[in-house]
Amino acid sequence: MSDTTYTQLLDLACGGLLLTAVLVLWRRELAVIIRVFALQGVALAALVGVLAARESSVELGAVAVGLLVLRAGVLPWLLYRALVGAGPALRETRPLVNVAASLLAAAVLALLAYAVAQPLVALAPAPATHAVPVGLTVVLIGFFVLVTRRRALSQLVGFLLLDNGITAIGFLTTSGIGLLVELGVSLDVLLAVLVLQILTTRMRETFGEADLDELRELHD
Amino acid sequence: MNLAQSGLGTAVAVGLLSALAALLVPHRVRTAVVGTGTAVCGAAGVASGIGAIGGQTFSLTMPALLPLSGITVALDPLGGVFLAVTGAVVVAAGVYGIGYARHGLDGRLVQAVLPLFVVAMLLVPVVASVGTFLVCWELMALWSLLLVLAEHKRRPEVAVAGRWYAVMTHLGLVAILIGLLVLVGNADGDSFAQLREAARHLPPGVADLVFVVTLVGFASKAGILPLHAWLPRAHPEAPSHVSALMSAAMVNMGVYGIARVGFDLLGGGSRWWWLLVLVLGAASAVYAILQAAMSTDLKRLLGYSTTENMGLVLVGVGAAGMFAAAGNTVLAGLSLAAALLHVINHAAFKTLLFLSAGSVLHGTGSRDLDELGGLRRSMPLTTAAFGLGALAASALPPGTAFVSEWLLLQALIHGLPTAGVTTAIVMPVAVAAVALTAGLAVASFVKAFGVGFLARPRGAGAEQAKESPVSMLIGMGMAGAASIVLALAPTSVLPGVGSVAARTVSAPDPAVADAVTVRLSGVAGSLSPVMLAIALLVTIMLLFGALRLVASRRARRTARLWDCGAGPLSARMEYTATSFAEPLQRVFDDVLEPETDVDVTHTRESSYLVAAVEYRRRVPDRIERRLYQPVLTLVSGWGQVGRRLATGSVHRYLGYGFYTLIAVLVVLTVIR
Repeated sequence: MSDTTYTQLLDLACGGLLLTAVLVLWRRELAVIIRVFALQGVALAALVGVLAARESSVELGAVAVGLLVLRAGVLPWLLYRALVGAGPALRETRPLVNVAASLLAAAVLALLAYAVAQPLVALAPAPATHAVPVGLTVVLIGFFVLVTRRRALSQLVGFLLLDNGITAIGFLTTSGIGLLVELGVSLDVLLAVLVLQILTTRMRETFGEADLDELRELHD
Repeated sequence: MNLAQSGLGTAVAVGLLSALAALLVPHRVRTAVVGTGTAVCGAAGVASGIGAIGGQTFSLTMPALLPLSGITVALDPLGGVFLAVTGAVVVAAGVYGIGYARHGLDGRLVQAVLPLFVVAMLLVPVVASVGTFLVCWELMALWSLLLVLAEHKRRPEVAVAGRWYAVMTHLGLVAILIGLLVLVGNADGDSFAQLREAARHLPPGVADLVFVVTLVGFASKAGILPLHAWLPRAHPEAPSHVSALMSAAMVNMGVYGIARVGFDLLGGGSRWWWLLVLVLGAASAVYAILQAAMSTDLKRLLGYSTTENMGLVLVGVGAAGMFAAAGNTVLAGLSLAAALLHVINHAAFKTLLFLSAGSVLHGTGSRDLDELGGLRRSMPLTTAAFGLGALAASALPPGTAFVSEWLLLQALIHGLPTAGVTTAIVMPVAVAAVALTAGLAVASFVKAFGVGFLARPRGAGAEQAKESPVSMLIGMGMAGAASIVLALAPTSVLPGVGSVAARTVSAPDPAVADAVTVRLSGVAGSLSPVMLAIALLVTIMLLFGALRLVASRRARRTARLWDCGAGPLSARMEYTATSFAEPLQRVFDDVLEPETDVDVTHTRESSYLVAAVEYRRRVPDRIERRLYQPVLTLVSGWGQVGRRLATGSVHRYLGYGFYTLIAVLVVLTVIR
């Protein structure tokens, strides 16, 4: 693979990562959000795949396949199952910050991420490290989704965006943090999703809907 | 490998194995295995300590065992005294625990924690670097906290006591941490040898700061005023053999810390340090014994008595420091020897008292003196044990505490002629405080013994009391035997303790002892406890014989006891602990500020006829109310303000994190 192709493919994958993150903010239908999240999983796997091809590392390739299965397959499937169980409430109706303002906020967060990541990029200038701000932006957008969305399911997606961003940063800065570590992190995420899914079901049974602000009633 | 080294190794190994065994062996034999293991661990500690007092020192460094600081162990004679005392208490408490723990305290966790606590406590006087010391100190506090909380399901007060203890002991740890780290910051490393070296070239203010800050921490562990508030709460609520361990062994570590930092690491220091120690000690002794005299809870009374005795020890330590700073090494050695001997004596009789109080609690289910009484018939051995302990604690000949308090008074009185206005004022006041304390201690223990064990039972529990199992009696017997030996033959330990004290303040040996007589060297004074006891015994027998002689001359006739014509005397007419203490309460009314409450109910027919009178008295801890209440109010006020931040909204909590992250990132971008 020539340098130019490598850079272009890398940037394409990162572009996909960023675009899907913004799309999650934009769309309101929960089913669409899950589909967008699956797309992001594909973009992440592609990113790792490009890195693997560049370094001709079989181990990294295996990680990419694993990521594809988990983030574009298993996790979206789990989310979708939770959504089907939820019944008719299929839309993120009233987010704490409306969609237009959310998109503006995403732009500001991206600016901040680029400004903050400058020293990291300056440490070892390379095509991969130049893409670090994208990962950071995805992290910040994920956190933003977590803070501003009311539905438990969209918050779950926010949490997973956060984790996708962290994984992306990990691969971009170190080009592979080891199969074992990645396996452990993935297992962690899977467990977190399972636990949160159970929590969502319980909440729905108790309060009738999965709006996290209903939890306020538990406060004495 | 000498005795000190092999003893310590055995103690640690056996202790850890007992903890492991507690988790593995079946329920039936658990208390027996753990109790025996703990006792063996204590015995090995005693052997090691005696070896160290005899001059066998050793040091050991294991850099890899603990991250950052490593483990440094160095046993010297001063540490040996405290190691031996702790070990001896552990032996008695371990044997006692076999029977005592059978009732609800035989769970895996509680049984495993006991040996761990013992090992941590045995290691505190042995370790020789700041890092290791702090680790052992904190482990000792944590394990003991778990043990205090052992019975939290039975009584809600346990949780309150646990909270007080947890907070106070950690504040104490913070103080010690700050003090020792300031010292380490001025030295090349954190081992005690390096600190000793560094202390010679310290800037003047730093040494003062280190001493005062560590004094705060160590004094809180020893239950010294005004940081005593946890002690009369936590010691009564712990299981009784743990109370004995805490009250007779753990509080000593506070004294050890003060002596180690003041005399050894900082090498003496200024006179005002020791004046401060002495004044704190004297105030604690008087105040705590007053509270003990008012107390109606048997174990709370013993807890206050612990504070009193630690106060007396600090009077000795403070006087030793003042004499050493004034250059009078003979008296310095004598005072410190008195203090160390009192540590040993107090450990012996306080173990005995707490173990017998536990036996009472075991037999009657109550520790309220007002509901006890009449235990002499149903629990004769426990009664004998408590009586012996009460005599030992009363500072009267032939009691155990008498010997050490006599030595202390000798040191203070002989200090009068030594020059200096401060000394001339402080020493007589200290003598008066020690004397007043001794008098009030007699009153307290007469009350505890007379009201608790003699006369007739006043409560249902006391009526159905039964004697404790054999292992508990053996544990009490061991502590009792130690008390008797220390009372009649202090000559067996005094030479060892004296030489340790003398070496600590670099003085000549303060006392010469032959088989029966203690003779002070350097000042006039001698005492022979055995002779004193024999003389007392002979006098009593003569008096008794003479009375019998007089009585037998007169004709004997049997008649009913005069009861003021009010019918047969019932148990309700007896003195209770409250009524016994009432005269003392009147005398010290201004100091104690008791809250009394009299409710008179009249009959419905006439307001001149009284149907019932209810009397209630409470003696709240005045220092606690003045010093702690405002702080607690302030803290809970802050807590109320803090609650406004926590509304229960998940989004708000997540938002705090998000906005903080963004703020940090923005600041990073701007300042770079």
